[in-house]
Amino acid sequence: MAAFTRLRSWLHSILHRRQLENDMADEVRFHIEARADDLERNGFTRPEAIRQARLEFGNVAVHQDGMRASLGLRWLDDIVADLHYAARILRHSPGFSMVAIASLTLAIGANTAIFSLANEALIERLNVPNPKQLRLFSIHNSHNSVVNSTWGSWGIGDDGSTRIDVFSYPIFRALQQRNSVMQPIFGFKNLGRGNLSTNNTATAGQVEMVSGNYYAQLQVQPSLGRAIRESDDSLSAPNVALLSDGYWTRVWNRDPSAIGRTITINSVPFTIIGINPRGFTGAKSVQVSSDVFVPLAAVAVLRSPTRKGESWLSTPDNWWVQVMARTQPGVADATAQAALNTVLAGAVQDTMHPHKDQTVPTLNIEDGSRGLNQIRRVLAKPLYILLGMTALLLLIACANLANLMLARAATRQREMGIRMALGAGRARVMRQVLTENLLLALLGGIAGLVVGRLGSTVLPKLTMNAWEDTQLNIPFHWPIFLFTAAITMLTGVLFSMAPALQATRSDVNSALKDTGRSSTRRSRGFNGKILVGFQITLCTLLVGSAALFFQTLWKLNHIDPGFNPDHLVLFDILPPARRYPAPQDIVLHHRLEQAIAAVPGVDTVSTTDVALIADNMNVTGFQVEGQAPRPAGDTASIMGGDMSNNSRFSNVGNDYFHTMGIPIVAGRAFNDHDTETSKRVGIVNRALVQQFFPNTNPIGKRFRTGDGKDEANRWIEIVGIAADIRYSGLRDDPPPLFFIPYRQQTDAGLLTYNVRSSVPPATLVPMLRSVVAQVDANLPLIDVRTQWEQIDASLQQEHLFASLTAGFGVLALLLAIVGIYGMMSYRVTQRTQEMGVRLALGATRTQVRSKAMREALWTGLGGVLAGGFATALLLRVIKSTLYGAGAANALPITASAFLLLLVTLVSAWLPCTRIARLEPVDALRHE
Amino acid sequence: MPPKQIDLLQGTLDLLILKAVSLGKLHGYGVLLRIQQISGEQLIIQQGSLYPALYRLEASGAISSEWGESENNRRAKYYSLTAAGRKQFNAETARWNQMAGIMATILNVTAEEI
Repeated sequence: MAAFTRLRSWLHSILHRRQLENDMADEVRFHIEARADDLERNGFTRPEAIRQARLEFGNVAVHQDGMRASLGLRWLDDIVADLHYAARILRHSPGFSMVAIASLTLAIGANTAIFSLANEALIERLNVPNPKQLRLFSIHNSHNSVVNSTWGSWGIGDDGSTRIDVFSYPIFRALQQRNSVMQPIFGFKNLGRGNLSTNNTATAGQVEMVSGNYYAQLQVQPSLGRAIRESDDSLSAPNVALLSDGYWTRVWNRDPSAIGRTITINSVPFTIIGINPRGFTGAKSVQVSSDVFVPLAAVAVLRSPTRKGESWLSTPDNWWVQVMARTQPGVADATAQAALNTVLAGAVQDTMHPHKDQTVPTLNIEDGSRGLNQIRRVLAKPLYILLGMTALLLLIACANLANLMLARAATRQREMGIRMALGAGRARVMRQVLTENLLLALLGGIAGLVVGRLGSTVLPKLTMNAWEDTQLNIPFHWPIFLFTAAITMLTGVLFSMAPALQATRSDVNSALKDTGRSSTRRSRGFNGKILVGFQITLCTLLVGSAALFFQTLWKLNHIDPGFNPDHLVLFDILPPARRYPAPQDIVLHHRLEQAIAAVPGVDTVSTTDVALIADNMNVTGFQVEGQAPRPAGDTASIMGGDMSNNSRFSNVGNDYFHTMGIPIVAGRAFNDHDTETSKRVGIVNRALVQQFFPNTNPIGKRFRTGDGKDEANRWIEIVGIAADIRYSGLRDDPPPLFFIPYRQQTDAGLLTYNVRSSVPPATLVPMLRSVVAQVDANLPLIDVRTQWEQIDASLQQEHLFASLTAGFGVLALLLAIVGIYGMMSYRVTQRTQEMGVRLALGATRTQVRSKAMREALWTGLGGVLAGGFATALLLRVIKSTLYGAGAANALPITASAFLLLLVTLVSAWLPCTRIARLEPVDALRHE
Repeated sequence: MPPKQIDLLQGTLDLLILKAVSLGKLHGYGVLLRIQQISGEQLIIQQGSLYPALYRLEASGAISSEWGESENNRRAKYYSLTAAGRKQFNAETARWNQMAGIMATILNVTAEEI
């Protein structure tokens, strides 16, 4: 109650400050006049009475200060005064202020942005209740595994085994039914991009297929309508779908009447039964949600059957369902894993009947709280490197700040001495220093906030390709902003308070006397040299790594891909399986090829199922006629790089080589006589000839794909040899590769169209759209991009590294220049008198200057050497992200070391020259 | 010869002000006169130091103030005791009396009584 009264009185005093001051003055005046009246009555003359009254009252200013203190206004007044003074000081040294604020901005902004991204990619969990309970199932596949055919992601483990995170549908069902160690098991699968059409809007969108218990197990309720239930997930149930909040917003404008309407997915109608809650991204990913969610059983109508013609819901051989479950209380992961492994082994025996030389995979239970965690696999390494770099930047900024503060504190020693001599308490002086720092920190913090927010919206864009509109948004991470802000602030405060403490501890007299008049200065404990050396070290490290990444980017940009990527527009066409069952899809693609070729301005057009430099590949066994069939390598050996019996391949249109500009070095290219009914033909590249046909002419020879056991695979005759090209990425050397006409295959599915035209894409694409629409109005052009955009997208990580490190490097350089200049000016100023004495005693100007320069040189040299060494160490960590090896990397490191040395000398030159120009007498008088 | 004046005990000024104001509305100078009058001119109060104490009491809500006309038609600020102030005054008076009693007992002890 009393506190409240006091607060009200305090607020009142602040808000009516002017009134209060007037009242105070009036009250005092009244007192004195009233007293004077009384005194006058006692016989004083008026002037005497007034004088006496004033005397009795005491010092008016002091008592008024006491009144303000009583109201709790004193500290506020002090702070305002401190702030005024601090602002004036900062304004008077704009260089210092700018650099300090820039350091803060940089450190806070960059760290916040990068860490927000890292947090989202590496730390954030699925937006469902209790995500930590979720477990993702995966299998480890060893050599000769019974599991060969997968639709899903795989990676290679440390022990050479393959990690696959998918299961066949029968095995998923078996796991579900025979599970007693975990909560009910659920499954899901991303169908990929499908053609979505609802509310008169046709778009391409991601389709997620989920088991009937998916929503129940994730414990998620739709924001509107109902979830998918067990009864929906069957072949006989009507087709139902839920929309993501984002897709509903984009296409339905959040109209609740969408419920009950129809959405067609790849030409199959589904009834919309619900809308997912905002922020729900499914079990797949933490960052991005699919657009439409349908029951798992819908795979039968949405995807054409397996190559063997089996239904996805019954095939034991093709593994494709992603599987998760929540833990059961009291059951350890190891126990559950052992129990489920028994189930898996039994189910594999029952469904696949493996030969005795085939191995059965083992099941693993992994953390599923971040979904499939694909973004982590892609971004983890780059992010850790970036985090390291921003941490360096933070260090540099702190060093810079420390350096600045130290230098300033030293120059202000006298000022503090004077203030203390005039009666300021030590605490009061310290508070002034603190206020200045907090003001700086506030300005830097605000700027850092702006930069950080900007960064966290721009950064995700740098990690995405040009044509996909992915709704990836990175929330701003407040804790890390506060953390970095606190760290930089603390640095500033520490490094300004320490010298200030020292300065105020010494008694007033010596502080006033000590103006650098002593010709041999005792070192004041911590001097700027070490800080600047440290700064140069970090700077060399940053600039060095920027140079390394640039070299990589430059090299990759100057690789000859083996084909001509200019004037090529790419887009994908996906014939819906229902309207174009194989081989109708082949007929459609052929018709589209012909229609597009007839568009004016189109030079040539050809399809392929593997767009080049897009991180895609087809791999199959390669068996030469007349040679013993060799076992096709399984996924593990392929991933491990064992391609001895395998080749990559593409299904292409007849005009492919002409369109892509790939030279045919022997034999012929495909032509219009290669049709569905003609002899099966293929074209191989030089690398394949070297591997499978050493010292023989392959033209006229025949080969077969697959593992050689499948007699149904017909022989393919080699009719030509193509030059080598880069296939899935620029970094990999051209692999053995063969091409076969898509028209001679059983089905085509999604094909990428390569259109060569000198017409600019902006004009060309609408023409292409209308031509495709004339053939089928419901076929969208998916992922329209140029071949160069495709290549740039594959170099995204390199671009990201190069641009960010370059940005950091430049900023660090700027900071270093200012830091070095500041340090040298400071040291030179401190030693002006010493230099004066030297000059007076006969030293030449050159001698004086070179003595000062030598000091800068040594500092720089030390920093650069340490930095070069650190960069060499860093090289081991980032080697895998660089292109080109060994000695080539020495050049960028050496170059940046020299650059830093040069920068050091140039920044030191000016202050050193200034000193050499001094007249000895001035120097001696200098204070 | 007037009685010998003594300096104010630490912390007693607030209580004196409350006492003075409890007897009726007063301006600052009036408070000073009242205290001097009821103390029989025995206490020395530094006149200026009265005001910080008045402001402190007002900020804590023990007294309230309003501007009014003085006896000789000047604008003056008048202080009066609030309900909270009266409670505080009573409590502090009781405490003072208790303390004074204890102190008197202690100081009056003679060697025979122990």
